[in-house]
Amino acid sequence: MKLFQSVLLIIMSTGCSSITLQPGDFSWPIETVLKVDEKGFITEDRYSFSVNVRPLFQEEFADSAAAAGKEIRMIRDQSGFYFITGEGFKNVYLFLPIEAGLEMGDAISISDSLALSAPLFNQKSPNIELLDGPRKYLLHNSGTVRQL
Amino acid sequence: MKTRILFTALFLISSWSIFYAQSDYDMTQNFKNNCRIIELSIRNASSFAECSEIEEKIEKFRSEFIDSKIILDKALYPDDFNSSFNKLETNLAVRKKDFTQISDLTLQVETMKTNLQEINRINEGLLIQINELNKISAKNEKEILKLNKLVSQLRSNVKQRDLLVRDLVDSLLVDFIKSPADLNRAEKQSFISKIRKSNLFYNIERTIADNIEFVKVTSLTPTDFAEMKDQYHDFNKVWKQIGPRLGEVYLNRKENQSEITGIDSLFNAWDNEMDAEIWGRIGNLFKDKGIVMPSYSNGEQFSEVINKYIDNEIKSAAAKSKEESEKIYGDFADDVYFKSVVPEWMPVLISSGMLTPANRASIEGKIAEWKKEIDPSTSYAIYIVAGMIILGTIILLGFQRMRVKIAEA
Repeated sequence: MKLFQSVLLIIMSTGCSSITLQPGDFSWPIETVLKVDEKGFITEDRYSFSVNVRPLFQEEFADSAAAAGKEIRMIRDQSGFYFITGEGFKNVYLFLPIEAGLEMGDAISISDSLALSAPLFNQKSPNIELLDGPRKYLLHNSGTVRQL
Repeated sequence: MKTRILFTALFLISSWSIFYAQSDYDMTQNFKNNCRIIELSIRNASSFAECSEIEEKIEKFRSEFIDSKIILDKALYPDDFNSSFNKLETNLAVRKKDFTQISDLTLQVETMKTNLQEINRINEGLLIQINELNKISAKNEKEILKLNKLVSQLRSNVKQRDLLVRDLVDSLLVDFIKSPADLNRAEKQSFISKIRKSNLFYNIERTIADNIEFVKVTSLTPTDFAEMKDQYHDFNKVWKQIGPRLGEVYLNRKENQSEITGIDSLFNAWDNEMDAEIWGRIGNLFKDKGIVMPSYSNGEQFSEVINKYIDNEIKSAAAKSKEESEKIYGDFADDVYFKSVVPEWMPVLISSGMLTPANRASIEGKIAEWKKEIDPSTSYAIYIVAGMIILGTIILLGFQRMRVKIAEA
């Protein structure tokens, strides 16, 4: 009887185990520049997805209606984090994919007083480079920011 | 020239931005823009030399971006750095080949032009001599021989020149594989200059005018007419293909538009002249036998006039003696219609569409009716003969249609 119970436990635990695919590299070679449509959606053609970004504008500017017509810049790092920012933003937002959406992981504050005037992302695996005019930063998905 | 300035300006701006912009995204966009500019300049290139300049620019462009090859390989998906340059180089090679072909064709056109000028000059002299000889009413044997020789020489020259002009038009059709709406400004300009260089309009007009003159001054045989009708149809077919396209190229040039319309009417005049000459010659055959009928200028009128003539003869037969009626019938049907019109002229009339098989059947049915009136004993035989003729005509028509279909396929 004990033997039977042990075998049953092994079979059940094998059926329920999840597998993990690793290591992986999700980095995009270059950033993508996307325009927010009237409904608050951005659409990326190369990686085939669209997502509503109104909550991001609500978070950054406390005005979700400000999203329409704005341009946002997005890049994905090696680990799969999406880095999102745009002109007038003071933060760079980090997102991870969830079912039918993106969930904010962290918000990296670049400056308390100065908003970004012309932000650009470059892929510098495992980091992401952020340029804003003469200013240059190195960001990591752990939330660290280093001014260069 | 404008394209070149635009190309240089955009190239400098984009090259400048490479050094100062730090974004990989911007660099990729610059690379793509440069590719588009070069593609555009390849499409608008108007000479082989311009293609060589573009080739140098492609090399310069490649060396400016070679350091970013790794990032571009990833960013240009589904293309990459090398495939982007391969595309540009392939486009350039195709364009260069176009210019090589155009250069070869220009050379061919030049040769044709020289030949045409020579033939035009000779034909002019021949026509003058033929006209002078025609004016002499009582020609001696030597003069007749000379006239025949000149006519034969002119016939051969006219034919040779027709072929040269056809080749000239054909060479232009090669350029017109694209519809005129798809030709860019440079291609349109090169096409117009080619037309000008080859004196295309003049040569076509001259060819048709000489053919008209040739019909007027010489006594052509039915075989000559059949051949000339074929030439006319072929040439007219080619012109109908190229004429409207030339019209589109010359949309804003009134003088050239009128030349195109002028050529259309010359083609009509040529066909009308041949038709008039053929109907006149057939009319003379009846006239020579003392048969007087109104004149006609097309197949419908011809069959109408003949049917009316026969109807009148049938009606007036009672007032004439049998011998007299038989003689009139014999002169008309046996000596002219079946002896000369049918074997000599009927092939060209039918093949060129001047007379339809239905017109012919109607005439021959009427002749059979006439024969029956003047000699009732032959009525059955006549019906059989008429039936066979109609059947033969239908079979011949069927074969002709089949040949046309095979030729078109």
